[in-house]
Amino acid sequence: MADETMKGMDHSEVHYFNSKKGIHEEMLKDEVRTRSYMNAIVQNKHLFKDKVVLDVGCGTAILSMFAVKAGAKHVIGVDMSTIIEKAKEIVEVNGMSDKITLLQGKMEEVELPFPKVDIIISEWMGYFLLYESMLDTVLYARDKYLAPNGLIFPDKATIFMAGIEDGEYKDEKIGFWDNVYGFDYSPLKHTALTEPLVDTVEIKAVVTDPTAVLTLDLYTCTTADLAFSSPFVLDCRRSDFVHALIAWFDIDFTACHKPIRFSTGPHTKYTHWKQTVFYLREVLTVEQGEQIRGVLENKPNEKNKRDLDVKISYQLQTDDPTRQAQGSCEYKMC
Amino acid sequence: MSESNPSIQKEAPPSSGSSEASDILDLKDDEGWEDAEPDEEETQFISLLDDEVFTDIMSMLNHCKDKHNFDFLQVRQRLGLDFYGNIKLVNYIRTQVHNGHKVTEDVSKEAFEDEKFLKPLLEDDALLFSLDELPDVEQNFSASQDNGKGAERDSGELVSRVSELEEELRMMQTQFDNYRATVKETLDERWNNQDTTEQSSNAKKEETRDDDSHYFSSYSYNDIHETMLKDAIRTDAYRDFIYNNKSLFAGKVVLDVGCGTGILSMFCAKAGASRVIAVDNSAIIDKARENVFANGFSDTITCLRGKIEEVNLPVDKVDIIVSEWMGYCLLYEAMLDSVIWARDRYLRPDGLMVPSHMNMWVAPIADPDYVSDHIAFWRDVYGFDMKAMQAGIHDDAQVLHMPASTVCAEPFPFLQLSLHSTTVKDLVFKRKWVGKLKQDIDALDGFIIWFDSFFMPSREDIVPQDAKAEEWAKTGKRGNAFTTGPNGTATHWKQGVMLIENTKTKPESRKEGEQLSGELEYSVPEDNSRALTVGMTWKFDSEEKENSQKWNMK
Repeated sequence: MADETMKGMDHSEVHYFNSKKGIHEEMLKDEVRTRSYMNAIVQNKHLFKDKVVLDVGCGTAILSMFAVKAGAKHVIGVDMSTIIEKAKEIVEVNGMSDKITLLQGKMEEVELPFPKVDIIISEWMGYFLLYESMLDTVLYARDKYLAPNGLIFPDKATIFMAGIEDGEYKDEKIGFWDNVYGFDYSPLKHTALTEPLVDTVEIKAVVTDPTAVLTLDLYTCTTADLAFSSPFVLDCRRSDFVHALIAWFDIDFTACHKPIRFSTGPHTKYTHWKQTVFYLREVLTVEQGEQIRGVLENKPNEKNKRDLDVKISYQLQTDDPTRQAQGSCEYKMC
Repeated sequence: MSESNPSIQKEAPPSSGSSEASDILDLKDDEGWEDAEPDEEETQFISLLDDEVFTDIMSMLNHCKDKHNFDFLQVRQRLGLDFYGNIKLVNYIRTQVHNGHKVTEDVSKEAFEDEKFLKPLLEDDALLFSLDELPDVEQNFSASQDNGKGAERDSGELVSRVSELEEELRMMQTQFDNYRATVKETLDERWNNQDTTEQSSNAKKEETRDDDSHYFSSYSYNDIHETMLKDAIRTDAYRDFIYNNKSLFAGKVVLDVGCGTGILSMFCAKAGASRVIAVDNSAIIDKARENVFANGFSDTITCLRGKIEEVNLPVDKVDIIVSEWMGYCLLYEAMLDSVIWARDRYLRPDGLMVPSHMNMWVAPIADPDYVSDHIAFWRDVYGFDMKAMQAGIHDDAQVLHMPASTVCAEPFPFLQLSLHSTTVKDLVFKRKWVGKLKQDIDALDGFIIWFDSFFMPSREDIVPQDAKAEEWAKTGKRGNAFTTGPNGTATHWKQGVMLIENTKTKPESRKEGEQLSGELEYSVPEDNSRALTVGMTWKFDSEEKENSQKWNMK
C-alpha cells in the first residue's frame, strides 16, 4: 500500500505499516476478517477434504494453512510480494511444507503444479471493496484454473451506501482549510473534497437506511463489471443533516454448510477496511421519510488503473422548495 | 477521530499585502537584476488583430469588431467555447496574427484544437486574465445532446443540467485561479532561466543515484501537510516565536527552506518581513503559491520550486532563515544538510537561524505491553507459529509515541546542534551516554531518541546542552522551545524506538539503581543518503558483556 492510500492514519502509522510486516500484522489482527475466513474454511471440511486449493495473494499463508487444516490434498499459494519468503518459513515450522506450494510472481506468469484447482480462496478486498483490490487477479485465476463446479471462497461481495450526519468531523477535515492559523488555505480544500476518507463511522451518525448498490457474484462477474454506474435510493430515517455519503461492503461465503458472512459497515465490529466517506460539497437538510436518490459511478482511472474515479450524483426528493438540493461530486481514490 | 485543534486562532484575514511590501519585480537590494522588466502598473490589452493597446477589454474587442470585422464574443458564442476553449482561441488568434496570417469570423473549432494553444503567446496576456469579465457563453443544449438520449427532457433533467453547469462553473473558477497561479509561476521561473548553462552541467553530474524523488513526491499530498499543520506543538512554536518577536522580522529578508504549504512564510510576512523567499522542491509549492495569493501576500512572498542548492534566489543574502527541517530521530531525511548549505550560502554574517538549537536525548525503555502486542504476538497466530515474522522487527527503528512510564532511566542529553555553527560533518557522530535505572524492570526492551527544539532571538543566546524544552518556558527564559519527548504532548515526530533483539535469549530482569553506559552512533547508509542508521552499544556496570545493535530508518 502506498502512503497516500492510508487516509485516516497518522504519519507514523503509515510509516509503520509501510514496512510490510505492519500490513500483515494489521490484517491478521483484524479478527472479523481472519476469523470469518477461518470459520468458512475449517468448519467446512466436507468441502475441502482431498481438494486442490489455490490461494490468490496468499501473504503470510494463513488461509493456505487453514485449508490444509480443513483436509485439502494440496494448496498452492501465490503472491507477488517478497512476503512469500516469510510464508515459506512459516509453513515449514508448522509442518505443512509437503501440503503447500508457495510461488512468488504474478498470477498471469507463474506455473501451477496442477492444471485445474477445485477451490479458490482469496482475501482480495481493498478499501471501498475495489481500491487496489486483487479481484481482477482472482477472476483471471478463476477463468484459467477453476475446475467446472469448483468453489470460490468468498463468492459474493456487496457494496452498500448510506448518508451520515458528520458536521463536526467534516468541519475539522474540510473546514480546517478555511482558516489555518489565520490564513485562507482554500486551495487545499478543493483537493480535500475530492479525496474520499477511509475512517470509522459511528452508527449513530447514520441518517438513512443502508442500500445495496452493487453485488458481485464471483462465479459470473467479469473485470468489465468493475466499472459500473448504479442508481441508489436512500430512505431518511430521521430528520437531520447529511454531510456525506459512506460506502462499505459485505462479504459472503455462500458455499459453506451454514453460510458465513461478514460486514465492514458502521453497524458492526471494526475491520481494517473501516468505511469510505465521500463528503458532499453542500449539506443536505433532510426530513424523516424523504429520499435521497442518486447514482454511484466507479471506474478505474485511465492513466493509472490502480486508482479509482468515483462520481456520486444525488438529489434530495422533497416538496419543500427551500431544501431542494442536488449535485454531483467527483472523487479520486489514489 | 482526532481532536479538534484549540490553538487555531481566529484572525481577520489581512486586507492586502503589507504596506511596505516591495513589488514582485522590484528587486531593490540586489545586483544583476537590472534586465528585469519594468513594473506594469496599468493593465494593457493588446489588440487581438493588430498592435493597438487598450486599457480595458471591451474597448479592445470593439476595436477588433469595428476595424477588422471580427466579433470575438460572437465567435465564442457560436462555437460554444468553454474556459479552455476561450484561452485556446485567444492564443490561436495571436499565433496566426503573429505569423502574418489572417483570422476571420468563420474560424472553426478544429483550427485551435491543439493543446499547444493553451500556452500563452504573449507573456502576461491581460486578455487571458480577464476572460472571466466577459459575458457568459450561453450553453447550447442541442450541442450537448449528442449522447442520443432523445429530444424529450423533462424539467428534472433541465434542473440537473443547470446544477451540472453550476458545478462546471465552480470547477472553472478553480481552474482559472490555478491558471493565474501558473502564469505567476512563469514569472518566477524567469528568475531561474538566467544561467541555464550552469544548471545543465549540474544535471549531468546528477545522473548517478536518486535518493530524492521519492522524498520530494512524498510531500506532494494533502495528508502529510494536514498532519504537520495540525501538530499544534510544532506549528504553535513557530507562530509564537515569530509573532512574539516581530521586531526581529520587521523589514527583513527571510528565506523559508522547505516551505510546504507556506505557513511559516506567511507568519513571517505577517510579522513584517519585507520579503520572504519560500523554496520547496515538492509539487506542494503550487498550493503554497495559491495560499500566498489567497491571503494577499503575493507581493511579499516569492515561491520557488527547486532544490535550495539549485534554485536562483532573487537576492544574494538573507537576514533570517526559517525552516522546519526536523525529521524522525531529528536527522532522518537529511534535510538539515540543505539548511546548512543555505545558511552558508545565503545568511548574512549577523543573520538569524529559526529555530536555533536542538538538544538530542536518549533513554532506555522497558515496555512489556508493546513487546507482547507486536513481538510475542507472532508466536501463536490462530494456532500457527509465525515467529518467522519477528525477524527484522529489530532491524528497523519504529516511530511511536511511548508513554513516559516506559522510560526506565533518566534521559541523557547526548548532543546539541547549534544551527548557527553546526556543519554537515557534525551530523554523523558517536557519543557516549550513561544511565541509572529508576525502577525494577523485567527486561531492557530498547531505547528511545527524541529532540527538543529551541528558538532564540539572538545569535549570542546560549542554550545549555541539558536544557529541557518542557521546563524552558516555565522558568521564564528567553525565546521559545518545544519537546518531542515522552513527557510532552505527542507531536507527529513521536519518538524513534529501537527495540533490542531479545527473542533468542531470555532477557534478564534488572533492579532499580543499576547503572549502564554505552555509545550512540548516527551514520548514513551508503545506499541511501536520506536514510539513517542508528548504532548503539550498551553495558551494565555489573557485567563484562557489552551488547551492540544497529537499526535502520528508511
